[in-house]
Amino acid sequence: MLASDVAVSKKSSDREPTSSVGRVGELRLEYVWQDRKTIIARSHCTSPWHLFPPIYLDDTGSAYTLLLNPSGGLVGGDRLSIEMTLGPDAHVLISTPSANRVYRSLSETSVQVVDISVGRGAILEWVPEPTIPFAGSRFRQVIHVTLAPGATVLLWDAIASGRMARGERWAFASLENEIWIGTSSGQSVLERYHLNPAESGGVGLATAWDYVASLYLVNDTVNVEVWKRLEEQIAAILEGHPGSVLGGVSQLAVPGLAVKLVARSAPDLNAMLEAMWEAVRAHLWSLPTPALRRY
Amino acid sequence: MEILSLLSGLRFVDTLFPSGGYAFSSGLEAAVQGGAVKDSAQLARYVEDLLGGGMSRREAVAACVASRAGTTGNQAVAVAVAVDRELDGMKLGRDGRLASRQMGRQVMKIAAEQLDGKVVLRSYLTAMEREKAPGHLPVCLGLTLGACGWKGEEAVAAYLYQTAAGFVSAAMRLLPIGQREGQSLIEGWLPLIYRISREVTPVPLSSWSPVQDIYGMRHGCLEWKLFRS
Repeated sequence: MLASDVAVSKKSSDREPTSSVGRVGELRLEYVWQDRKTIIARSHCTSPWHLFPPIYLDDTGSAYTLLLNPSGGLVGGDRLSIEMTLGPDAHVLISTPSANRVYRSLSETSVQVVDISVGRGAILEWVPEPTIPFAGSRFRQVIHVTLAPGATVLLWDAIASGRMARGERWAFASLENEIWIGTSSGQSVLERYHLNPAESGGVGLATAWDYVASLYLVNDTVNVEVWKRLEEQIAAILEGHPGSVLGGVSQLAVPGLAVKLVARSAPDLNAMLEAMWEAVRAHLWSLPTPALRRY
Repeated sequence: MEILSLLSGLRFVDTLFPSGGYAFSSGLEAAVQGGAVKDSAQLARYVEDLLGGGMSRREAVAACVASRAGTTGNQAVAVAVAVDRELDGMKLGRDGRLASRQMGRQVMKIAAEQLDGKVVLRSYLTAMEREKAPGHLPVCLGLTLGACGWKGEEAVAAYLYQTAAGFVSAAMRLLPIGQREGQSLIEGWLPLIYRISREVTPVPLSSWSPVQDIYGMRHGCLEWKLFRS
């Protein structure tokens, strides 16, 4: 049972046409820090999203939430949205049980829009499994994160070239991705790309790789020297799989770090994420990496 | 283009202009040390991919928008500031970001001081000095060339040409590439620069050059280096 009340808002109730059932899904979550742990104070969820209660993987009170879409993936015309609010000092870890699969579409685009507000002193760890855009798929993802003073975001985003086992590589029809992180100073970080491999003749030098990923860490109260030491640590990690992973880390225009990497295989990608995540947690919060329970 | 407009703008693109561009390799040094670029064929592919995927809808758009602001005048400064700030947020590698800001600042300082009657340039320099605008090179060059009377596509072509020439200049110090080969590389890139310049429109900035971005980020970790980016 969630420690929350399920708010059925007028915004989406009883007015969606039947054709949109299971195609236009909304997930709204409001987290607060209460009684030494983060709980979901309010929530709203429509199909295909399925909401499980948060899991507490350790005694820190961090709420681990799985974004569960049991439909098996996105098809053309699907429009999924996530709105999330983290109250002051809340600590939320978000992941997915499996890769985000995007199916072939002849015309319509699958859309996933994520809008997150992170309150003062709160921590968001956004660590989903990679997106796999199948051959002929059309996908648009938008992730916006707004940080209050002292809030932290760790955001991981990875895309695969396709279903490599089927010989399917960089064969999607279109892929748009936008990640925006705004800080209380008004400065922001932005990654935005729009790929049409068939029209533009491929994906350039990335063709030689099967995964492209980004990791962003932002907090406007962390000392620049702390970022510098973490940058050195992550740079050393990125050298750990020569030939299988190529990556770089650098300080951003806002207080924080960006990591960009390409990898040849899922095990290489996962090994990098685990090592970097472990370093970040130890460095910033003196916490070990939790063992994520997936179903 | 009027001859006087051409001459007014040309000196800001000329290698004689003291922007400090000779000190930067835009990640090429890290790519060479990493073994990704060993000869002129690999350099050609590396730069073509960067111009086409990384810059055609980011720096080129920023230069185009700024050029139109420079032509419009003082009331368009806010437009240039907005694209400049967005560009700053998109430049993930610290060395490349600082290089772009430094070269942009050099352009704007001299342009604002020497191009009499161009109020938009003085306003922009003030915005930079007050840290309202980061002052990236495509924006400052675009504003300056626009104020000189260059069209958006002309400013974009100039920016991309300058970038391409900068890669050849750096490559001649990093690789066994001579001047004739360097000229041949630039000649090979001109159709692409022409196409990007003709097709550029003021769309939202976007960029896809992950491998070049990574080498740009790795530059800060090189044990020895000739360049500052």
